[in-house]
Amino acid sequence: MVAFWKIRRSQGFRAALLTLPPALFIIFFMILPLITIIVYSFWRTENYTMIPDWNLNNYATVLGQKTYLTFLWRSFIMAVCVTAISLVYSYPVAYFIAKRGGRYRLILVLLTAAPFFTGIILRVTAMQQILGPIGLINMAMMHLGLEPIKIFMYTPFATGIGLVYLWIPFMVLAIYLSLLNFNFDLLEVANVNGAKPWRAFLEITWPLNWMGTAIGIALVFIPTFAAAITPRFLGGVNGALFGNILEHEFGATGTWALGSAMGVVMFLICLLVIVAVWKTINLKRSGYTGSLIGEQE
Amino acid sequence: MTTAALSIQNVSKHFGKTRAVDNVSFEVNRGEFFSLLGPSGSGKTTLLRIIAGLETPGEGAVYIGGRDVTKLPPYARGIGMVFQDFLLFPHKTVGENIAFPLKMQRLPADKQREQLEWVVSLVRMEGLEDRFPHQLSGGQKQRVALARGLVSRPDVLLLDEPLANLDRELRKEMEVEMRRFQSEIDIPFVYVTHNQEEALTLSARMAVMNYGKFEQVGPKLELYHHPATAFVASFLGATNHLQGKLTRPGETYSHMDWKGIDLVIPSPSAAGPGDTVDYFLKSEKLGIRTGEATPEGTNANRIRGKLRDIIFQGRYSDYFVVFENGEELIISETADIPSVEIGRSIEVTWPAEAGYAFKNEEEEAS
Repeated sequence: MVAFWKIRRSQGFRAALLTLPPALFIIFFMILPLITIIVYSFWRTENYTMIPDWNLNNYATVLGQKTYLTFLWRSFIMAVCVTAISLVYSYPVAYFIAKRGGRYRLILVLLTAAPFFTGIILRVTAMQQILGPIGLINMAMMHLGLEPIKIFMYTPFATGIGLVYLWIPFMVLAIYLSLLNFNFDLLEVANVNGAKPWRAFLEITWPLNWMGTAIGIALVFIPTFAAAITPRFLGGVNGALFGNILEHEFGATGTWALGSAMGVVMFLICLLVIVAVWKTINLKRSGYTGSLIGEQE
Repeated sequence: MTTAALSIQNVSKHFGKTRAVDNVSFEVNRGEFFSLLGPSGSGKTTLLRIIAGLETPGEGAVYIGGRDVTKLPPYARGIGMVFQDFLLFPHKTVGENIAFPLKMQRLPADKQREQLEWVVSLVRMEGLEDRFPHQLSGGQKQRVALARGLVSRPDVLLLDEPLANLDRELRKEMEVEMRRFQSEIDIPFVYVTHNQEEALTLSARMAVMNYGKFEQVGPKLELYHHPATAFVASFLGATNHLQGKLTRPGETYSHMDWKGIDLVIPSPSAAGPGDTVDYFLKSEKLGIRTGEATPEGTNANRIRGKLRDIIFQGRYSDYFVVFENGEELIISETADIPSVEIGRSIEVTWPAEAGYAFKNEEEEAS
């Protein structure tokens, strides 16, 4: 009985109690499906049935056939471009809101997330209504007797615009939250000490907010890399990305094993990107002043 | 064209209808320690920020080393500045923080190292260059902030309440240190503070600011011993404020009715009989007499009251004496006066010219 109370009061027990619900959630809805997919990726599919016949053929296909690699490469380039554009676009927005938003800044940030009030399909359809051949822009162009802008019509470019529009709120939010804890007075210090505004940004603002920025980068990169719906609606036949064919394997063709292998490859690449981004964060150089893990007594 | 290290000419700054800085002019010479003293909201920090270029003045001009910098951005002014909350760059080491101004000036690496070594030894921070700011104590942070301000040998160093966030012990220590830095280098310091002790300890000349205006500028002892305005008289030193009506004006000395007690005071300018007069008395200029002491001079005040309390301050004590008119005076005297006990009747004496009398202007306006 005494032992039981001791356990109940111990730090470890409390921590376990607090982390149990999210841990269970992650185990059931993330780890287990992931393991399933990993297992499936070594099986094979025949007539829409999974056959536990362990082999590496799926990986040979994904990593060996030019078609799959091309789509993988396309998705990767798309994700890099969309992330870069989102970053360049979000930083000034987040900066302005954090610095000048005053008491309206929470509302302003929530407004950047306004598109999230509706579902993804609706949002992508809305983009289609603007960019598509009979969309707002091109209808207006034709109405004025001009040529429709072809680059907006079912191209990877249109997909890019759609993806930037979809995921930019994450980037704005991540940078904004970081800037909330940023002491803008440091820029005055830099200024007085001889730094021109852009120099002060590079020396002070950028490194001190790099962690938040990196989180934003990860949050935009991952869904963009895995995008399927947006390229289907906006990219057209020639704008298909890796996500589209992956979707295809699980749908029409019913080759779940191959699809699983593709999923695993995608997962690993995302993991690599996250690790690469994480490696750039030096806690000591991020202005983080709390105790570092392992440095605690 | 002026040759002063820093020259401020008729500078004004308005925030909406508030005059934060109201037509202020002054000069600071090379190697001089100049303080701007005033209560919070007096505009002293705004004035400092105007000198730094962090605010633009509505009117007037700022000259640094004879060069008109009024329209120049902060980074082009060649100044150093030390801030109240230290404001070190948390992601840079001590060495990088201090060398920041040199890096911005794109000084060659060997020159940077030379300057860094000089300033690090000046502020006695040797061996701590690789630490991060959060690993430093408050006093060390302040030393780094000072070093960063001085490293490029600026034309003028601006200090905005640099000691306000330090505890008393450390503040005393840093005051001594700052005097040392300042005497070792030829850079003029402009020091903003609301703490009169700091201003009196550190500076050679100072200005007392109130509501955006300079009340008085001059050598510190002149301000302390010959305040030009009622505000300066009340703000500097531990001061008793006595208000009464002028009864008999005279050439040099006048008489004042202090709620029933007749006092001799130096004649306040432009005051007639019946005018309200403010009389300021520094507590260390008052004396306590217990027995039948030697008679005072002709223009001495000598009033009897009851000792209410004694507060021991170390080298001296504060004696609280209540008079029959219900008013109280604080007298700073040596801590060991024999036969002085709380509750006893004692006499308080002072010569008239120990205090400063001013006609109360507000009274007249109403």
